[in-house]
Amino acid sequence: MKKKIIAFLLTITMVISLVACGQSSDGSGEKSTSGNSSDGGDKTLTVWAWDKAFNIYAMQEAEKIYQKENPDFKLNIVEVAWDDMQTQLGTILSSGDYSQLPDILLMQDFAYQKYIMTYGDLFQDLTNSGIDFSQFSEGKVANSVADGKNYGVPFDNGTEIAAYRTDILEQAGYTIEDLTDITWDRFIEIGKDVLDKTGYSLFSSQAASADILMQMIQSAGGSIWKEDGTPYFVDNEILKESIKVYKELVDTGVMARTNSWDEYIATFTSGKTLGAINGCWIMASIETAKDQSGLWNVTNMPALPGISTATNYASQGGATWGITSNCKNTELAIDFLNKTFAGSKELYDTILPSSGAIATWTPAGESEVYAEPQEFYGGEPVFQLITEFATKTPVFNTGIYYTEANDAIAVAATNVCAGADIDSELKTAEETVSFNMGN
Amino acid sequence: MIKKRESFFTYTFLILVSVLSIFPLVWMIIATTNESVDIVGGKMTLGTKFLENYANLTAEQDVWRFFGNSFKYAILTTVLSLLVCSLAGYAFEIFHDKWKDLLFKIILMTMMLPFVSLMVPLFQMFSKANLLNSTLGFLLPSISTPFLIMMFRQCAKSFPLEIIEAARIDGLNEWQIFIKMFMPTMKSTYAAATTITFMNAWNNYLWPKVIMTKGNSQTMPMMLSSLTSGYVTDYGMLMLAVLITTIPTAIVFFVLQKSFAEGITGAVK
Repeated sequence: MKKKIIAFLLTITMVISLVACGQSSDGSGEKSTSGNSSDGGDKTLTVWAWDKAFNIYAMQEAEKIYQKENPDFKLNIVEVAWDDMQTQLGTILSSGDYSQLPDILLMQDFAYQKYIMTYGDLFQDLTNSGIDFSQFSEGKVANSVADGKNYGVPFDNGTEIAAYRTDILEQAGYTIEDLTDITWDRFIEIGKDVLDKTGYSLFSSQAASADILMQMIQSAGGSIWKEDGTPYFVDNEILKESIKVYKELVDTGVMARTNSWDEYIATFTSGKTLGAINGCWIMASIETAKDQSGLWNVTNMPALPGISTATNYASQGGATWGITSNCKNTELAIDFLNKTFAGSKELYDTILPSSGAIATWTPAGESEVYAEPQEFYGGEPVFQLITEFATKTPVFNTGIYYTEANDAIAVAATNVCAGADIDSELKTAEETVSFNMGN
Repeated sequence: MIKKRESFFTYTFLILVSVLSIFPLVWMIIATTNESVDIVGGKMTLGTKFLENYANLTAEQDVWRFFGNSFKYAILTTVLSLLVCSLAGYAFEIFHDKWKDLLFKIILMTMMLPFVSLMVPLFQMFSKANLLNSTLGFLLPSISTPFLIMMFRQCAKSFPLEIIEAARIDGLNEWQIFIKMFMPTMKSTYAAATTITFMNAWNNYLWPKVIMTKGNSQTMPMMLSSLTSGYVTDYGMLMLAVLITTIPTAIVFFVLQKSFAEGITGAVK
């Protein structure tokens, strides 16, 4: 019997080692278990990013540009969905085994502060790296700055735009100029009139998200955090005003509310609303409705009424590149980013027309490519307009608990729309966020 | 008359439920033939964009490589875990004593631990053992599952001890009894276990996405997640990818459907 047990154990060992052998012969032939970053001598950098048509495409173009001067330079770009990246980062960082981190990774702007604060050693400090951060728009750089130190190289632009179907506006007797540089009060007035005459709402938003509220707060130079990082919802005049505007938008039907992202996209691509107010990356979705080419135009968002610091500019979304502490070839990584995303007009000129990636690196906006008329938007040079908006965007502190705050404020806004008292709702929301923060 | 009315209600109810459960599948298939903007707009008729969606999908993602990865992992997991768990279930029942029963209870208790809580320590272990980004790394945590062991143990209860005694007298050793007598009798349990394990392995998402940090070892569910993570989602392409992902589990289920039902009822006997 003993012999048989030993024989069985040996068989199992064999099977397992066969499986183990099997995998090393498949795939790319790289060593499967080695760490992810480059080692000193090699000129290959590993990058994690999502969105093949946008971020990854931009990275590939940057690689080509850098290769002109450094022919042996190579990027190994791994597609990692943003949600997956959070799980991976969470596991890797809490396990303490940083060797699995890539050299460079892309991170959503709204999460940057959270990762810098929670995992202080995730990103390398780029303050004295030679990258000129003053050439990026101020509001954008602020996302990846903590305690006066720069931890990232800004990439795409999330500048808020208001895009409208000019043909339907015309039917109601309005032009894009009527919707430019206005307040939400005037916007609602026009919206009611347009709704009466054409049956279209002016724009839509997702009911479960407070993004549009956050954009209103940012545009008015407000904040949802106190100096010490605790939530500032109660007695926050700007937040209160935003929710009042939101309620009126819902009550009057000027803003349509949707339950999901797909439904949100459908409202303007298949004609329930005549516009969209969001980060400028929403243009890629607008443009999927090819039959509406030439009918759209872009302007700035409405400003909050009765607030002295109110502007018509905000931003939503966008992402930033960071160099991780696992990168052994920091000099190469910095030089690469400095000569591409922080220094190459050629890069931004290439990626703008083909992917719609608008730069936050100001010199790129002066390029002729940005000034070209865009057929889809009635022949207007909309990209130049958007880069101009970007320079006027107020700085907004997303804080570490942005997602939690966004959720809580969305609930409050929904309840207020259903008739609840605004002050008590804000108090509940503030308590919810404090609770989530562990205070 | 009463009977007729009863069957009218039964049929109406059944038709309603069938429509509800089949509709998403039909909608998915229709969506693979349409353009993204039409799908979002709610178009419900077949379109002509199937080949275009396929071309877009294969241009953007290495679909068949990920499909191959998923297939390899699912098959290996299924074969190994069936072997290990059926042996364990058999042994826990046939050779049971006080200590083995206690051990079995402990194994059952691990069912209550959510996988997320094990992820960080498992990751540390696998990282130290150099098993990240490897097939073995994918397989090990899912080879032995308490649920399958319990299922096989329950089925072994219906396996008569007298036959084992008789076989022993006839000169079969324990291995031969297991392979020649237990395995063939428990076909339906194996079929049910195959379906469950294959589906779980095929849809396994959390663990592979944590340990597969290199692009070329990704699986289908990870690819689906990438397809929805951009600023713009191409729903035609996405639906086609979902369809391709659904096919293998659907085939496994339909082939083993009959035995699956038998196997599941056998387990709770």
